[in-house]
Amino acid sequence: MTSWLRRQRALAEYTLAALARRRIKNTGLLLIYAMVIFVVASATLFATALRKEAEVVLAEAPEVIIQNLVMGRHDLIPGDVIAEIDGIRGVASIKGRLWGYFYDRLNGANYTLMVPLDPAMAPPAGQAIIGESLPRVREMPWETAPLFLSRTPGDLVRFDIAKRLSSDSALVSTDLILLNEANFRAFFELPEDVYTDIALSIRNPREIDTIVEKIGRLLPNARLVTRDEIARTYQKLFSWREGIMVLLAGASVLAFVIFAAEKASGLSAEETREIGILKAIGWDTGDVIAMKLWEGGLVSFGAFLLGTVLAYLHVFAFDAGLFASVLKGWSVIYPDFALTPGIDGLQLTALFFLTVLPYMAATIVPIWRAATADPDQVMR
Amino acid sequence: MISVQSVCKTYNEGRPSALTALDGIDLEIARNALTVFKGPSGSGKTTLLSIISCMARPTSGRVLIDGRMVSGLPERFLTLERRRTFGFVFQRFNLIRGLSVLENVLLPATPLGGERRADAKRALARLEMLGIAGKAGERVEFLSGGEAQRAAIARALINDPPVLIADEPTANLDTELAHRFLDIVSGLRAEGRTVIMTSHDPRIWAADQVDRVVSMRDGRLEENEA
Amino acid sequence: MILQTPILALLLASALASAVALWAAWFGIRLLQHWDLASGSQRQLDLERRTELVSTLFGFVMLIEIAALFLLVFNADRMAALFVGAMCAVGTFNVNGWGFPALYLKITLFFAAALWLILDRVDRLGRDFPLTRLKFATILGIAPLVLAGFATELAFFLNMKTDVITSCCSKLFTPSNEGFAAEMTGLARAHALWLLGAAGGAVLVSGAAIVLRKRGERLFALAGAAFFFAALTAIVSVISLYVYDHPNHHCPFCLLKREYGYFGYALYVPLFAGTALALATGLLKTVANSDSLAGVQPKAIRHLTRLSLAGFALFGIAVLWSIATSQLILFG
Repeated sequence: MTSWLRRQRALAEYTLAALARRRIKNTGLLLIYAMVIFVVASATLFATALRKEAEVVLAEAPEVIIQNLVMGRHDLIPGDVIAEIDGIRGVASIKGRLWGYFYDRLNGANYTLMVPLDPAMAPPAGQAIIGESLPRVREMPWETAPLFLSRTPGDLVRFDIAKRLSSDSALVSTDLILLNEANFRAFFELPEDVYTDIALSIRNPREIDTIVEKIGRLLPNARLVTRDEIARTYQKLFSWREGIMVLLAGASVLAFVIFAAEKASGLSAEETREIGILKAIGWDTGDVIAMKLWEGGLVSFGAFLLGTVLAYLHVFAFDAGLFASVLKGWSVIYPDFALTPGIDGLQLTALFFLTVLPYMAATIVPIWRAATADPDQVMR
Repeated sequence: MISVQSVCKTYNEGRPSALTALDGIDLEIARNALTVFKGPSGSGKTTLLSIISCMARPTSGRVLIDGRMVSGLPERFLTLERRRTFGFVFQRFNLIRGLSVLENVLLPATPLGGERRADAKRALARLEMLGIAGKAGERVEFLSGGEAQRAAIARALINDPPVLIADEPTANLDTELAHRFLDIVSGLRAEGRTVIMTSHDPRIWAADQVDRVVSMRDGRLEENEA
Repeated sequence: MILQTPILALLLASALASAVALWAAWFGIRLLQHWDLASGSQRQLDLERRTELVSTLFGFVMLIEIAALFLLVFNADRMAALFVGAMCAVGTFNVNGWGFPALYLKITLFFAAALWLILDRVDRLGRDFPLTRLKFATILGIAPLVLAGFATELAFFLNMKTDVITSCCSKLFTPSNEGFAAEMTGLARAHALWLLGAAGGAVLVSGAAIVLRKRGERLFALAGAAFFFAALTAIVSVISLYVYDHPNHHCPFCLLKREYGYFGYALYVPLFAGTALALATGLLKTVANSDSLAGVQPKAIRHLTRLSLAGFALFGIAVLWSIATSQLILFG
């Protein structure tokens, strides 16, 4: 066993020396390889972080949301429904929610206006709490500059800014304007006692299905959305976009593989001569293959490390500047936030499979061809 | 020590370009002797050398080393046999450029999994004995012809093989260096080693140190001189 | 089809494996026809050299298949969040009819791969290619498995639809059901533990016989196989309960989840490895009997036996640890 280890170490040492001798060629290969890995790794790291983000956001979302449907379209729901549902066992709390969209003609953005579920969170009358991208898109000149919203030409409603939201959960709060209930109803001219939808929280997750079923019987026209469904939709959406990115990157992997195979089969005269010498002085075909595998392994490992680290920096330190728009979605308001850094073993393994495997597959046959050179050819 | 029995070697068998390099060779090589194969180029002496030294397999016939049949072995085990028995010095020395003398000398020991430090110590001792220990750290491109050959000899001996194989060792050396080479070979024989070489250098055939000259022509043995 | 990086990786690995397996099988047929060790002809020389390449490549593929089994299970567990009703890998595999066949094929491939790799290793130690014919004959058997594995995996992933309501593990592993899984679940807990203990005893005795007396290899292989099934039964019937601290949660897949500290891997990895190695001892005893392996075979068998026993021992430690640290008291 120790002799096996020593043999591997000696081969690795020789390989390192050999790599260092052909520095320019190998650095070039390494950089191209690392770039391919960088693209794929950025896509998977970014999508994984987005999925995590969505999970974090949804963790605080209500378990079930009840929406009223009229002609199959979402409509306001009367407040007396709350009392009806309150009787069902297992429902921990039930609240009517008020939220809506506002199209800002000044810059073409869509804001989400909302009344916080917790009354203590609501801003005082005439004030608003705003998401982090609003000051940016409205180019608010100073920290406490008031917000003016215009519903029709000539109309102007003023809100003072009570607070700006931090960018911790920017993906969903970026375009948010929080108002108190009275201001909200006045702004949208809503009658009393209607809500946009109703949020339920349920303590025991195993009871969600039964409760949903009971409410369904009580309110046959309503649509019931569970948190799990939303989570699934997010997961699917981000995974799908990631998959598309990886598939596209697959083209670059393929190009690289062809390049690597070309490189490995077109050994230079110098390298062919070296392998001939090694075979002549007593190296076995297996030794040469092991040495070449070390070479491939070291290059792959280096490129994998470099590519992944660069992708990590790209995604978490530079907000995935290169293709964030593809993965996040298209909107006038891009969330501006730092993703929580995180690395996922499964994604890394998958990444390894996707990038290193094709490289190995592409180079092993050329390696074998070189390694089976006749040992006596240096004498001819 | 090495016994060659009716060995034939045909290259490109079954094709129009087929070439019979060896045609029924029978030969015994004595232990601790210095044997030289001579003959014009194309006479098959290098092919015979490579078959004796387990580098190539004969198309037919048998090769025995110390009574062990080696001619039918799979390549992997042929290599094992070769490592254990032979060290090689080639005509153009075949050192690997870009590596130091010491690294070159250590190459045959690399895949064996021996103790690295002990290997290096042996290598340095051998370089010392050959008078080029001072060049151990130098890259091989910067060596003179004689130094390169001595580095190649040190490399051939790193695994302590009982037999040294040399292919046209003096072809690129002047007379003085050729004599130095023969002196080194005598030293090796004093250590108990057997030496086999090919040469068309008359200085070698005539040298006192040579025990036996085997003359070849067209893949057959011509005569033996004592 | 759900486009996901791990799925793409698995499919790529299987596609590569299939390509290599097909090629290796084609070479295997040629080898079985023309292999003639006595000949020094160019064709024989080429065949011998090519065995080196094909063996290396196929060995590489077998290693990938072993890694892919873990990736498949891990990914299935992760994907459970996407399906209505799925709580763990069971739900994902149940999403369509191809999931469990794909898993079972991968498990079969795992064992085939492990045995083949050991055959290959021993073959390389003999001077006259002692197992080469057998090695390539087995490739002819393994290649269809690789292809079938790829096909089922492809069907599994292509037919995945997230709006399908799948069944959770609690519906599969419940004594009130019919079928194999339910039988395992329903087995009395004490019986399952006794069975496991008995199989463990058999493994220990036959293993000791190999190490000390150099005999009983096939018995050890049999005992290993028996232990494997006894262990799976015990996991479903009792051990899972201890891990979950819950008297009715029998699922052997939830063990692999993060919530339970990935404890399942501590059970399954040594169990699978130990079983594969135990099977290999029996295999070597049966096939590796040529003169050129006379010095190698007993040493290799003893080495494998020790490793196998170590695997089973690790499994045993994991089981005892789960029982000792559990809040649940089932007996007493």
